[in-house]
Amino acid sequence: MRSSRAALVGALQILALAFAATLSCSCSRPQLSSQTTATTHEVTDEAGRHVTLPVKIDRIVSLAPNLTEIVYAVGAGDRLVGRTSYCDYPPQAKSVTEVGDTLHPSVERVIALKPQVVLVSTASQLENFTRQLDEQKIAVYVTNPQSLDQVFASIEKLGNLFGKSDVAAKLLDDLRRRAKTVESATAPLKPVRVFYQVSDQPLYTIGRDAYLTDLIKRAGGISVTADVPTAFPRFSDEAALASKPDAIILPTGGSMGNANATVAPALKNSPAVRDNRVYKINDDLLSRPGPRLVDGLEQLARTLHPESFK
Amino acid sequence: MVCAGMLLLLVIVFVISSVVGAQKLSLSGALCALTGKASCSLSAEERAILFDIRLPRILLAGAVGTCLAAAGAAYQALLRNPLAEPYLLGVSNGAAVGTMVALVFFGAHEWGRPVMAFGGAIAATFLVYRLARGRAGASPERLILAGVIVTTFLSSAIVFITTVMDATRIRSFTFWLLGDLSGTTSSLLTVAFIAAAVGVIALVMNARALNLMMLGERDAFDLGVEIGRVRLIVFAAASLLVGASVASSGSVGYVGLVVPHLVRLSFGSDNRLVIPAAAIAGATFVIVADTLARTVIAPRELPVGAITALIGAPLFVYLLKRGTAAVV
Repeated sequence: MRSSRAALVGALQILALAFAATLSCSCSRPQLSSQTTATTHEVTDEAGRHVTLPVKIDRIVSLAPNLTEIVYAVGAGDRLVGRTSYCDYPPQAKSVTEVGDTLHPSVERVIALKPQVVLVSTASQLENFTRQLDEQKIAVYVTNPQSLDQVFASIEKLGNLFGKSDVAAKLLDDLRRRAKTVESATAPLKPVRVFYQVSDQPLYTIGRDAYLTDLIKRAGGISVTADVPTAFPRFSDEAALASKPDAIILPTGGSMGNANATVAPALKNSPAVRDNRVYKINDDLLSRPGPRLVDGLEQLARTLHPESFK
Repeated sequence: MVCAGMLLLLVIVFVISSVVGAQKLSLSGALCALTGKASCSLSAEERAILFDIRLPRILLAGAVGTCLAAAGAAYQALLRNPLAEPYLLGVSNGAAVGTMVALVFFGAHEWGRPVMAFGGAIAATFLVYRLARGRAGASPERLILAGVIVTTFLSSAIVFITTVMDATRIRSFTFWLLGDLSGTTSSLLTVAFIAAAVGVIALVMNARALNLMMLGERDAFDLGVEIGRVRLIVFAAASLLVGASVASSGSVGYVGLVVPHLVRLSFGSDNRLVIPAAAIAGATFVIVADTLARTVIAPRELPVGAITALIGAPLFVYLLKRGTAAVV
């Protein structure tokens, strides 16, 4: 009896303390720098949301590795104040403060960094998180490219937002030229039927809405799952077996480590395995829709059509 | 007689589910191949789809259904509690924690998973049972409370393990936790079948004792039932069943609750009938659910656990509303 009363008193004390702590927090909330910026403009992000951003952006948080790469590529890397644990490229990004991983960023850390914009990729499912930042009046800008052209458009828009349209234009000239070189080489060739294995167990692949479906086409291939709804469907073993691909692409060896390095059991007897046409490509070049995606395109094309790229 | 009818139904369901799938096979060809003939009108990869992918998956669904339904029936009888079920008692979560520990530490050994799952299931079972036993014996309410506590505790352990684990492996784990019957291996299938057979036979052999124990442990004792021994065997057999099913397919919910109750509502509560009938009906139920999971949005797939809950819950409510008293 006595011990239970002591426990009750203890619990009440903890509650009181917690309550006091909440009060003191809400009183001393810091003024956010984004609210003090004088000139703002409204832009539309790739999810169709209207976002009000300062004309001059000095503090950026990126919540996806491809966005971090874009920020550096357009010459705004010195303004990046926060990144995820997956953002490991370019190497100097690693010295920027970490805010957690793509799926579980720490909202507290993001707020503490006082960013003027938080860059988000829809692939990382951040609805709940976005709402919290909206409440803090921190702008969230969403990118959602579904083709190589849309990746280029993302780079161009982000370049404009950071006042770096000249750097972005120069970068895009180069990227477009390289993509064009690949495409003119692959255009006359017979497309290779490709199965792109996102993960082996459970079996995930790319579908209609994935930018990778477009990338494979440009590299002189055709994804055997190009008509499946959504971007990254959980795929049926039976349908995988019946798809009989001539080549299988395993994105692995980069951030994925040695995960996804083996062909899914359902594909073990496919023509691709029989003819020894299973190819591992560094997943960082394919799973990050940013500037290095063109490196991925070049590797993909060389892999599918070695005879045309000597 | 009842069991023969249900076996017939199971065979019919088995045949139907093996001729439908994400990939269309010719009906006559598939039926011909199922009879074991080599010269059927199926191409090599159609045979592979049927025998390497579809049939193992259906067999696993059947084994998992048998395990979960028989275990549910046994828990309900032994604990004299209509809500006793592998998931509500935390036994499935115990098996899940065991499987995850096995995957993290002994990932290479396929046999590590079922063994650790069994260990986790039996530890959770005895933990819940001990927690539920007050000075006045185990009341149904205390048991459910203990189950809820153990379940939530183990769920936190699962979340903890998935969080500290390698990020690239999380997706496959979350999918597995929701119940996934695809991509089975012949050794996991063998384990599931052996466990199902051993567990169900052990339970059937104790069915008469369970009948007596449903009257109350005192009465059963007076009638000559070795209560301690029966309890140990039934707990061990049920844990084996749950462990095998979780190790091979993750958590397919609702089967251990819905199926035994449906069986009791239809045939009465004699465990000598309920346990084998639940074993057969459980297999049928999960095969139907998984067939839907792999065909409804083909070539994409749904998690089978969502289907078992979607079919199970309304069916259960309907039978309760119809007024037949569910006496355990």
